[in-house]
Amino acid sequence: MADTRQFGDLATQLIIESRRSALADNLLKYNDNLVRSVIREQRDLEKLMDGAQEVSPAILIYQTAIVRNKRCLLAYHKHRTDQLRDMYWAVGGALPHILSNQDIRSKLSPHEVDFLRQYSASVMDYRAGFSNELDITASITHPPKDLHVLVRVVRDCGVIQTELGSIDFQKGQRFMVRRADIEHLIVQGFLEEV
Amino acid sequence: MPLGAPPLFQEDEQETPLQQLIRYWTNERHAPDILPTEEDLLSRLLDHIRSQSETVQLLRSDPSSSEEEHFRIMLAQTEVERVKFVVRSYLRIRLFKIEKFARYIMTNPEVQQRLSESEVDHARRFARLTDQHFYHSVLQSLPESQQTLDDQPPFVPSMVTEPDKTRAVFAHARQNCPPVRLPDGTALKMQKGHISLTPYSVVEQLVTRGEVELV
Repeated sequence: MADTRQFGDLATQLIIESRRSALADNLLKYNDNLVRSVIREQRDLEKLMDGAQEVSPAILIYQTAIVRNKRCLLAYHKHRTDQLRDMYWAVGGALPHILSNQDIRSKLSPHEVDFLRQYSASVMDYRAGFSNELDITASITHPPKDLHVLVRVVRDCGVIQTELGSIDFQKGQRFMVRRADIEHLIVQGFLEEV
Repeated sequence: MPLGAPPLFQEDEQETPLQQLIRYWTNERHAPDILPTEEDLLSRLLDHIRSQSETVQLLRSDPSSSEEEHFRIMLAQTEVERVKFVVRSYLRIRLFKIEKFARYIMTNPEVQQRLSESEVDHARRFARLTDQHFYHSVLQSLPESQQTLDDQPPFVPSMVTEPDKTRAVFAHARQNCPPVRLPDGTALKMQKGHISLTPYSVVEQLVTRGEVELV
């Protein structure tokens, strides 16, 4: 550790992490230690502020550091929740799909798991208003061109109800099915378009 | 009607509900701010989707439908799927904006009027959820004087994200428009069919009144 550390250096590291994960487009592990260190720095700064007797240039520096650190902390968390939301929509709102993935799960803080759960509950509430007509969590990247689609089963996903009756999708098989019936399975990576 | 074709030069005819929705959808996708909800139109279309799907179901299970009818059923089904796509995309872009501006929406009753009831509910839940998340992860460990979420320190952007109405948009005039004032003080008068690149705030009123569409 260099002993000439400035106020705000730690917060900069947080932002660098966010930036790195944005560029690489993957979620990094929640950096609990770093967040704690920045929070500790905030407390120290606050004490310095309280200890100061009169208005001095030093106070201005403390104050700026406090504001900046706080902003960086929040930005770091906001960036992560944005990524989580993207992830959530990318799998068509299948929350168990994310949470049962150990690799992802180990990167989340407990508060982030809570966040995802409650977020999902809110989206599901909103979705319920349209459930008679359509599923708003389905994909919106490509407009549908055909009613039917030829799919290959990548992972077993059990018996699914389709318009042709129930089909038992087993790995390696191919089916011609109605897109609307199995769209969510493509999104979640069980099936693959051929 | 093909989905991809923008209803650019068909203003003379009466617009179908779907054409209207496609126009609102493109507007919504291009506008930086959140536009008034089109609840009536949407619920009419949703009703139509439902009744069409039911008819299709009925005809399909009827063994006496002819080969030609089956072909027509397939067309109707495809069209239903395409309409659903537009509806879904329209709702999702709104949802995206609602989440982005959740705090701003919850402090502005005027903006809330542009949202449907379920959208306001979602905005409220989302704003509370992010606040809670920030509080539990960060703010509760900070000294009390630093726990607010709406600081406005000098030289730093506000903590509450607001729509950037100065963003440039392409506006296509659907009819002759009354003059609007540009930021530099001059007036812009758009004739029918004209396309201009202006800041969103200039044409905001015209978009709401349906005199221009964003392209």
